[in-house]
Amino acid sequence: MIAQVAAPSVYWTAIGPELAMGIGAALVLLLDVQFKPATKVLGRFVFFVLLVALGLTFAQHLAVDDIMARGTGDPAFLERFVPFSGMIVLDRAAVFARFVIVVVTALGVASGWKLFESLGRRAAETLALILLAATGFSLMAASLHLVMMFLGLEIGSIALYVLAGVTRERADSDEAAIKYFLLGSVASAVFIYGVSLVYAGTGQLGLGDVRGYLAGVVLTKPAVVLIGMMLITVGLAFKVSAAPFHSWAPDVYQGAPAGIVGFMASVAKVGGFAALIRVLLTAFPQFTDDWKPIIAGLAAVSMVVGAVVAVVQDDVRRMLAYSGVAHAGFILTGLMAGAAGASVIWFYLAVYTVQLVGAFGVVAAVSGAAGSRSDISAFAGLARRSPHLAVTFAVLLVGMSGLPVTSGFIAKFGVFQVAWIAGYQWLVIVALLASVVAFFFYLRVIVRMFMDDGESVELETPPLSIRSVLVGTALFTILVGVLPGPLLDLAREIIPI
Amino acid sequence: MLTWLVLSPLLAALVVAFLPTRRRELVLPVGILLSVVPLTLAGVVFYEFETAEAGFQFVQQAGWYRPWGIAWHLGVDGISLGLVALTTVLIPISLAASTKIERRLKEFVIFVLVLEAGVLGTFLALDLFLFFVFFEVILIPMYFIIGIWGSERRVYAALKFFLYTAFGSALMLGAIIALAIAHARQVGFLTFAYPDLLNVELTQTAGRWMFAAFALAFSIKVPLFPLHTWLPDAHVEAPTAGSVLLAGVLLKLGTYGLLRFNLTLFPQAAVDAVPIMATIAVVGVVYGAVVAIVQPDLKKLVAYSSVSHLGFIVLGTFALTSAGLQGAVIQNINHGLTTGALFLLVGMIYERRHTKKISDFGGLAKPMPIFAGLFLFATFASIGLPALAGFVGEFLVLIGSFPTLPVHAVIATSGVVLAAIYLLWAYERVFTGVPDREENKVLKDLGARELGLMAPLVILIFLLGLYPNILLDRTSASTEAILDRIEASSDFEVPAAGRLAGLFVAGDEGAGE
Repeated sequence: MIAQVAAPSVYWTAIGPELAMGIGAALVLLLDVQFKPATKVLGRFVFFVLLVALGLTFAQHLAVDDIMARGTGDPAFLERFVPFSGMIVLDRAAVFARFVIVVVTALGVASGWKLFESLGRRAAETLALILLAATGFSLMAASLHLVMMFLGLEIGSIALYVLAGVTRERADSDEAAIKYFLLGSVASAVFIYGVSLVYAGTGQLGLGDVRGYLAGVVLTKPAVVLIGMMLITVGLAFKVSAAPFHSWAPDVYQGAPAGIVGFMASVAKVGGFAALIRVLLTAFPQFTDDWKPIIAGLAAVSMVVGAVVAVVQDDVRRMLAYSGVAHAGFILTGLMAGAAGASVIWFYLAVYTVQLVGAFGVVAAVSGAAGSRSDISAFAGLARRSPHLAVTFAVLLVGMSGLPVTSGFIAKFGVFQVAWIAGYQWLVIVALLASVVAFFFYLRVIVRMFMDDGESVELETPPLSIRSVLVGTALFTILVGVLPGPLLDLAREIIPI
Repeated sequence: MLTWLVLSPLLAALVVAFLPTRRRELVLPVGILLSVVPLTLAGVVFYEFETAEAGFQFVQQAGWYRPWGIAWHLGVDGISLGLVALTTVLIPISLAASTKIERRLKEFVIFVLVLEAGVLGTFLALDLFLFFVFFEVILIPMYFIIGIWGSERRVYAALKFFLYTAFGSALMLGAIIALAIAHARQVGFLTFAYPDLLNVELTQTAGRWMFAAFALAFSIKVPLFPLHTWLPDAHVEAPTAGSVLLAGVLLKLGTYGLLRFNLTLFPQAAVDAVPIMATIAVVGVVYGAVVAIVQPDLKKLVAYSSVSHLGFIVLGTFALTSAGLQGAVIQNINHGLTTGALFLLVGMIYERRHTKKISDFGGLAKPMPIFAGLFLFATFASIGLPALAGFVGEFLVLIGSFPTLPVHAVIATSGVVLAAIYLLWAYERVFTGVPDREENKVLKDLGARELGLMAPLVILIFLLGLYPNILLDRTSASTEAILDRIEASSDFEVPAAGRLAGLFVAGDEGAGE
């Protein structure tokens, strides 16, 4: 007689988008081996996969509504809210992160279109890696367990290391990949070492369990846990390129193929910040007084270093890299408000990543999707050569600089507001001054585009996919700047558990 | 009504943007024609304005994002009414003065119209968040106007202009957030509405810091000495239309802000700051005038004269008397008209000779008698000759500041004398004598178009000089309300001599010549 073994019920909805993208990545490789389809076909397939992932994310959105409506009284509450034995959490932050990641991935694939076509047979692996990176970072954003978080981090990061070097015939692309890999591995090692220390100190790996443990006991010697927490923070600060852990960013942004750098930077930032918010707010609320000064310091250093160093960059991509460091600082500023800051951080991430992908779309259109060096002089007189590109880029840059009527202003305003309420007025003032410095380097590019005559190299019209990315991101930037309500409402529901 | 007033230039810009590229000759006429729409709307608002009413009129309010307490909230009172009207008058004129622009005419017209929307929004906004949005948005079109259509050092000037102003407003944003949060803590809900924020009780330190942040932003905009160094650069490099709008309208954002926000939101801090602000203002009056005397460049001379004249406005503002505030409000308008006229005239001669250097001219009155006459007229208006607009404002400011700031008033009077020196001396060098250069002898006098440009300004300067009650009737209720508020919420008592309500409303000044 065979004993009936009850199959554990698995709440697949909780990882629907990851399943779609992960299986999609595998299918891309298989299809490529079996049928050797044209790049165009593969690309369309990837879009289809992303569309499915978007649909599944939307299903998750509805599922979260349902879970929240039923409340803790529902017998299946835990099974659905923290499925997979508490490895994963299905909350609004996780869903919002997936929305951002899926959309940014789609934009990234569209703006890398020319790159894929130039890669020939290697396009399939590139596309598969892109899907894998998205899968990893969105798992990371949804994880409620330090090991799960590390898995997501590594799935995503390793895919990104390879992507940085995908145009391997170019030396600077190799350089970017090697640098990213070496420094990234160190950061991952630091992260996992921090995890092990936290485990040593608390005996727990689940974020909720860590919090529960810390709330229940009084640690007479909390140093081990504190150091663990700091090391985790450092590892994640590296991923989001917060100063002083940003040194990889300029080289990678510059060396990796322009078509997909925007995507690479964006997903890493989304995953990294999602994890940082979870670790600090969910696992270590007990240590708020310990981590707040550290995060405030990171934020201030990032904003100042990012803004000041970006001023002297002559390469637009390095400039965008340093501006990304400054943006990491602005986002960290929101963390000062604790749980109240989570929603503005997510809003900020959503608008910034969209701007970033759009900006790199322009860079790719100007300097070639595979090309590297994007010296600022290549943008001279762009307004005359290609008015549409110039106007789009100007809108995106103005959006990043945080001038009003763009999404960037609303995002910055939200962050400043919560940080001020939280009592970090000095940090807000540093942030305000840093954003004035930031105006300078964004304007520098605009000056070159609109006020320089430049050489008369004619640009070829970018393909439809890139054009739609550019128009889409620029319109989004302005639309959210004028009517921020819907997106803010969506982000406002995010309350960290 | 006010919503349409703000949106109509934007819609006009949109129409211009979609004009066919090949029909280049259509761009300017269409732009000018469409800019008459806001002018008409402003005219209606001006006409229907209730003169005795101190509060905001034509108020429109719609939620923007309620959880943050931000709203689309517009309204007009005596302080902003004249500035709104001035803006809508100057825009068509400066567009019509831009016929010489060859490159990217379409973008130019679009930027000017966007600028108009931003300026009108700033004057009309009653929500501090909305105000800040408009205040910052203005930077973008102005930056491009200077940077693309300016002269040789245009990029440098545009960047300087942008960064100076952005720096000031960044700190103001911090103060706005702080003020709204202070309100939320006291009253219990977050809002950026100006009327609500008036009720915040601030500690002395908080009030002073916020006053300082606001004052810094507006002082850079005015600009007050020693924050004025961006202005001559911006003016010299900007195209004529840019200079007219910069001097006529953009600088007024600073004086308007000081009057509207600094005095009412932080009354106690404002009273405490009177000695500092008034002193800076007077230093500006004298410094601007002295520096203007030695300028070799006509445009720079007018630019420095602006520094001097705007010092008067700030002095009147911080005199905290009826006449002082009224003088400040009306001098805003007068300065916009007279300086606008001067910049237009300098632009006209620049178009003919491609130089603005005073030493390149001489004896121009001979070949260009009409031009010389108009220039003399604008000069007199700027100096403040009775019967012309400039007189009323300066007279009111001086008489208003005497009861509270006698020493400052006396020193400021020298500004009037110095103005006569630098302007008349410049006139003498440019226009009198015998033309000694060949190219100066053959200059053509003003044509019909140019006369048409000047006509509205000349008429308005006369009108406001002879019958300033058109404005004063509409401003007095609002300025009195500001003084009432300051007296109610600070330890300051306006001396009886400064609170002669009714005396200065009667229109005696116009007859004072």
